[in-house]
Amino acid sequence: MDYKVDLKPASLIDPRTKLLLLFMISVFVLGGAGGEKMTVFYWILVFVPVLLLLSERKWKLFFISVLVYGCSYGAQMFLKGDLRPWESVLALSVYVIVKFLPAVFMARYTMATTKVSEFIAAGKKMHLPDTLLIPVSVIFRYFPTIGEEYSCIRDAMKMRGICLGGGKASQMVEYRMVPLIADCTVIGEELSAAALTRGLEVGIQRTCIWNVKLRFLDYLIMGFCIFTVVWCMIGGFFL
Amino acid sequence: MNETNSNKLNAHDLINVGIYTAIMAVLLCVFACLGIIPVMMLSLVVIPPLVAGIPYMLFLTKVKKFGMILLMNILMGLMLWVTGMSYYATIVGTITGLIAEWIYRKGEYKSKKLGILAYAVSILYIWANYFGIFYNAEQYFSTRQNYGQEYIDSVTALLPPWMSPVLLIANFLFGLLGGYIGTKVLKKHFEKAGIV
Repeated sequence: MDYKVDLKPASLIDPRTKLLLLFMISVFVLGGAGGEKMTVFYWILVFVPVLLLLSERKWKLFFISVLVYGCSYGAQMFLKGDLRPWESVLALSVYVIVKFLPAVFMARYTMATTKVSEFIAAGKKMHLPDTLLIPVSVIFRYFPTIGEEYSCIRDAMKMRGICLGGGKASQMVEYRMVPLIADCTVIGEELSAAALTRGLEVGIQRTCIWNVKLRFLDYLIMGFCIFTVVWCMIGGFFL
Repeated sequence: MNETNSNKLNAHDLINVGIYTAIMAVLLCVFACLGIIPVMMLSLVVIPPLVAGIPYMLFLTKVKKFGMILLMNILMGLMLWVTGMSYYATIVGTITGLIAEWIYRKGEYKSKKLGILAYAVSILYIWANYFGIFYNAEQYFSTRQNYGQEYIDSVTALLPPWMSPVLLIANFLFGLLGGYIGTKVLKKHFEKAGIV
């Protein structure tokens, strides 16, 4: 039976587009592929996550990031060539911020706005094999969990007085890592039990309540990404 | 369902791969940030292999079928690529993953000694991250111009080409040590608690 229900998409763009953007930002912003001729694309890619933040109505984060990017752009123009040590440290930190922040924002946006079931549905449409799709979706689902668990453990260990200093480095690592890993293992067991009850393994086509479909905006972004890659490969001839 | 005898990876195995890959990735990410300080660049073959041994050895206790180690290494390689390392790590990770898989299978997915060896082999993808500096220095630093000339000079001075095999050996040895520590911790904490 075919259900025809017009469902709203979970977010502005499709999970596939989000992944593509994440990949593009890591290669061209974080990895700095292409060098000088990609400057325009570099800054466009830097600002895409910012616009996405805006679409999620995260006003405060939006203004802060615009401010940070503006300042660091100015700093990059100003700090060039032979630098004194402290200037070099400043330039380095500014540089690191502009390089890492877009990828961090994009990853956060992807994780915050993508439901796991939506992600799996999108992956199925791309005909990804389960062997790749399930681990990747678990990883995506898992990063925030690790952060939460770790902050709880850190608090507990602070209370016991196991923190930096006092020459207890190995103890520090052991007493944090072991509970964290134990926690994660238990959560993992629960996760697989939940996945099995939801029929991840039944072997027939699964349905999804989210409307996973490529829209105009997705095609626009994908077109831009293809153009960026093409420009990176042959664009040098035109300059 | 006949999943007990099947040699195909089921959802349970795949979820395990995902979880441990996530833990390893977070650990590597935390310690890789030390590489911003030039001297610490060298410590990247020392500290991450030591620390990552604990989750890896726990992961190995869950491995009973062919493909899990390989899959984890491919995913780790992809993660390193996406987080701004080069794609060398992906290639090397895939190859070492296959070798580690083969080593661990020799011990019928039980032997702890072969497990340590498998860990030391599969963690070699950390060494692969240095390839950019050794074999393609100009391009590597062209994307890092803004780190300042001082950083570039000190990293170049620290890492002449002959350091490449030295780092490989160091990575392997600390992998062995990390695997050993991993089994010790496993024994001390997890086996008692009944998680293994």
